[in-house]
Amino acid sequence: MYKNLMRKMLWACLTLFCATLILFVLIRLAPGDPIRLLLGPPADVAMIDTEAYDRKVNELRAHHGLDQPIVVQYVSWMKRLLQFELGASIHTGRDVGAEMMDRLPVTMLLSIAALALQIVLGLFFGTVSALRAGKVQDQAIRLACVTIASTPSFALGLVLLSFFAVTLGAYEISSDAGITRLWLPAATLGLMGAPPFIRIIRANLLSELGRTYVLSALSRGLDRKRVVRHALRNALLPLITLVALSLTMLVSGAVVIESIFSWPGIGKYALDSILLKDYPVIQGYALVMISVAILIHLLVDVVYAIMDPRIGRNREADLHEYA
Amino acid sequence: MSTLNAKRPVGLAVGVVILGFLAIAILGASWLSPYDPLKQQVSERLQKPSVEHPLGTDRFGRDVLSRTLHGGKNTLLASISALGAALAIGLVIGLVAGMYHGSILDTLLMRLIDVLLAFPFMVLAMILAALFGTSLLHLLIAVVSVWWVSFARLTRSVVLHAKSEVSFAAARVLGASNGTIICRELLPKAISPVLIMATFELGSLILSIAALSFLGLGAQPPSPEWGSMLSDGRDHFMQAPHILLGPALFIVLTVLAFNLIGEGLRDKLDPYEKSEL
Amino acid sequence: MPRQASGAMLQLEDLHVDYSQNGTVVPVLNHLSFELGKGEIVSLLGESGSGKSTIARALTGLLPPSANVGSGSMTIGSEPPVDLSGKRVPWRRIRGRQVAMLFQDAQQALNPVVKIKDHFKESLLYHRLASPNEVLDASARLLAALNFSNPLDVLERYPFQLSGGMCQRICLALALCLKPAVLVADEPTSALDTVSQKEVLDLIASKQRELGLTVLLITHDIAVANAISDRVIVLNEGVIEEEGDARRVLSKPIAAYTRQLLAARAQLSAPTRDREPSREDEPLLHIIGLEKTFSRKKRVLQAVDLTLHRQEIIGILGQSGCGKSTLAKCIAGLELPSGGRILFRGRDIGRLRGRSRREVCQRIQLVFQDARASLNPGRTALQLVQEPLRYMNIADKKERENLSAFYLNEVGIVGDLQKRRPPQLSTGQCQRIAIARALVLQPEVVICDEAVSALDMSVQAQILALLQRLHRQHGFAVVMISHDIRVLRSFCHHIAIMKEGSFCEIVRAHDLPEQSRQAYTHLLLKCAGDMEVGL
Repeated sequence: MYKNLMRKMLWACLTLFCATLILFVLIRLAPGDPIRLLLGPPADVAMIDTEAYDRKVNELRAHHGLDQPIVVQYVSWMKRLLQFELGASIHTGRDVGAEMMDRLPVTMLLSIAALALQIVLGLFFGTVSALRAGKVQDQAIRLACVTIASTPSFALGLVLLSFFAVTLGAYEISSDAGITRLWLPAATLGLMGAPPFIRIIRANLLSELGRTYVLSALSRGLDRKRVVRHALRNALLPLITLVALSLTMLVSGAVVIESIFSWPGIGKYALDSILLKDYPVIQGYALVMISVAILIHLLVDVVYAIMDPRIGRNREADLHEYA
Repeated sequence: MSTLNAKRPVGLAVGVVILGFLAIAILGASWLSPYDPLKQQVSERLQKPSVEHPLGTDRFGRDVLSRTLHGGKNTLLASISALGAALAIGLVIGLVAGMYHGSILDTLLMRLIDVLLAFPFMVLAMILAALFGTSLLHLLIAVVSVWWVSFARLTRSVVLHAKSEVSFAAARVLGASNGTIICRELLPKAISPVLIMATFELGSLILSIAALSFLGLGAQPPSPEWGSMLSDGRDHFMQAPHILLGPALFIVLTVLAFNLIGEGLRDKLDPYEKSEL
Repeated sequence: MPRQASGAMLQLEDLHVDYSQNGTVVPVLNHLSFELGKGEIVSLLGESGSGKSTIARALTGLLPPSANVGSGSMTIGSEPPVDLSGKRVPWRRIRGRQVAMLFQDAQQALNPVVKIKDHFKESLLYHRLASPNEVLDASARLLAALNFSNPLDVLERYPFQLSGGMCQRICLALALCLKPAVLVADEPTSALDTVSQKEVLDLIASKQRELGLTVLLITHDIAVANAISDRVIVLNEGVIEEEGDARRVLSKPIAAYTRQLLAARAQLSAPTRDREPSREDEPLLHIIGLEKTFSRKKRVLQAVDLTLHRQEIIGILGQSGCGKSTLAKCIAGLELPSGGRILFRGRDIGRLRGRSRREVCQRIQLVFQDARASLNPGRTALQLVQEPLRYMNIADKKERENLSAFYLNEVGIVGDLQKRRPPQLSTGQCQRIAIARALVLQPEVVICDEAVSALDMSVQAQILALLQRLHRQHGFAVVMISHDIRVLRSFCHHIAIMKEGSFCEIVRAHDLPEQSRQAYTHLLLKCAGDMEVGL
């Protein structure tokens, strides 16, 4: 099994490598001089003297080796990345890496809180829906799911924000990352992301309940609750993929909610930087997000290998086959 | 004792009806909308919904309802074409990868998918917006680049399952070439799950495009497009929520219609039987 | 548990069950009544569609929601009668302790992610049959009593690591540890090979004697019913045709239906094989040292040698997992051999790919076990038989249709039937279409991979007769693969017995069992023979 893990880690590194290559290519393809992009327009850099500006540009160009062939550029770029040198923000001058590290945990906190809520809602309503399949509770839950899944997150977010903050005054509007302010954005994200969980748990549980081992356990006189627990445990295994997908979407897509609730996470930071054209920050953001996504997928592979005895023993299962 | 076994596709019917209404409203926007979507009447700006302006007016005095109806065409056309492209690419790649499973081609394609999965959609859209400027076209490019992956994976897993079935072995033994097998055996099997997924993905796509436009990264004003209207409406949300909620309501209805249709189709093709506990 | 004075352990009265399918109501069991005496083994004999599985499910309350119990009363021992059509049937008390059940697919009947020892632990603790520290010993003892030589090792395993026969014995142990009054076994051996079948049936019989169990054995196989039953009940489409002492019913049946069943079986066993063709010098198909290993060390075929001459019929006998299907696939080109050669008329075809392989397809054809699965449900019989002609671009449209109609007539699908689609046809008819489709290319070798195993007994005999007639008329060689010696003995010239990936011997069919020198062959024949004593 350990050989398997080593292989997966190697593949993850290779994927990371390819992804950064694509990023590099995209950056190079962007219209405009990359140095001016990195430096910012003259006005922002407070250099009215265009000659001095041009000198600075040439200096940076040589420094970044942009007069070198493209492959050399890529290699030196990679070298800097591997040393975690992500450059400095044009806007604040601070090291991009440090800015990311300040904000990433904030987004992770929100994402994990939302994910927890999604899992809880999924387990509860998915199970109820499966056990009462075809009956009123099931129809109601499915209707609710479909409606929530059709609502844009920002609409729900704005409505909830205006209701709790303005109408009720129960929610504070500020830029704090405090626990007291976590509940509303987490609840919004959690609610929005619950329908896929509910749907999949319902479907998997229904499928398991029709399997022979369930009938066999019942025929041995075991009680219903116990048998449903067994079926549920087996139904949950394919859920791990959904958890990974959802977590990735939460971390990368929290932009909207962070923006509405002024939650100082990495998404809001990236959005502001785009509008400010702060390119080093955007590049750093892309790299961090890519790494997080790859890491999450790797963890999923590992968890599957541990949890399903059928995979651990001489049988290979790909993440793709559970999709 | 036996409950709902006669399948009554209520959801499916409702979805189709809603979609029908929306289609009429949007396609007939030019005739149905009471005002010119681009006409500005500053004297009437930021009016709440009333009899003359059922969805109110925006900050330039433009009628929100008219703009929403006209905007629908742009948004939906863009979404459907982007999704169509993603579906076609994903289907072809999934068929090829599945058919030649175990070969270098399959491995390469799967690794490519792994690399693309590392770019969450939002992140890619934001990068493209940052590097190449904000526009609907760039958004759609981001969409097609990332969205084909789910279709490819679904198609591939359907193909892998079909390959283990007897009908596949029978076709091979009877002398069918690889191309014939892909077209006659595998493609028909893959089409229905992929189309069902497409209806859900379309809804999801419209929501994502709306979200990105809301953030200011999508289509830009003044063209009436649901996304750009959301972006406009965001600034005035507290005083005039109707500017944003008007298009938002239409978005909800559209996505709801597609989701209901998708669920209805899936119910028809995938019923579950369970025993009494 | 106190036994009833009259000696009946289970009394079933007026059981009526129907299913609702797409709005229509389909009756499955028609006001059925029967009795099981204490300590009896009663076989419920019926073909597919007779309703036998529904009875098993009704007795344990495990019917699907689409089933509706119109009426029915069940009395077990001296307990008060239970109304099966009512809403509040006390299943918790009945299941396990009074009525236990064995399922057809034993591996599926065990939780795939739970170890065997935990299966026992749960049952024993729940029913308070052992204290937590006694559980392991108790489980080991139960397994040892069921012929497991290494119980502690088995307890540590997961179901997917054990064979079908072992899983069924484990299910039997799990059912018996609750000491039920009645054991309902729903086709417990259909999914097993001959040797395991005999083992499981013998165990059921010996446990029954030991514990004084009452057993209801549900099966479609007359040999299984014959092997261990005291009484036989014959079921046909929800109605009891005949019941009585096993010996009597199976040798001197009264009801027409029973006679029909036995006749079909007899037809199967009667030697009708043709004279052996004179062997030419050059064999049609010559397999030398064939090997096939699947990824990571799973060696399925090793050192396989076989020769097939023109117009010869060879049978390959083997139990599930011995590699016979893989051999068929290698010959037909569906799998690539890892070693050795397959020579067709002297030409090595084992490793051909693409166009050249497809040309060989015209010469070697394959008929599958699951007829329905091999036919596309959306196409008519005529279209299906034309498929290979279209794939290989042979003949034009008109000729293809004519050829298709001709071969369909040959297999007995005539007139209107030719325009029907598989869902509108019976399994037997589907298999006929599959055979016609295989023959339309006029192959020289036809491989039948368990082609009749999934069919009802009467249909099996018909299809074998059909194959025989076609063989005589068209002169192709046949490789017949089966796990059932009866099918092969009457049909083939030679029989090759396969064990663990290679042939342990090849004998002439009419010389069996005298000329056989292998212990394994003797074992197979003995098991099959034992089950048929008296028939």
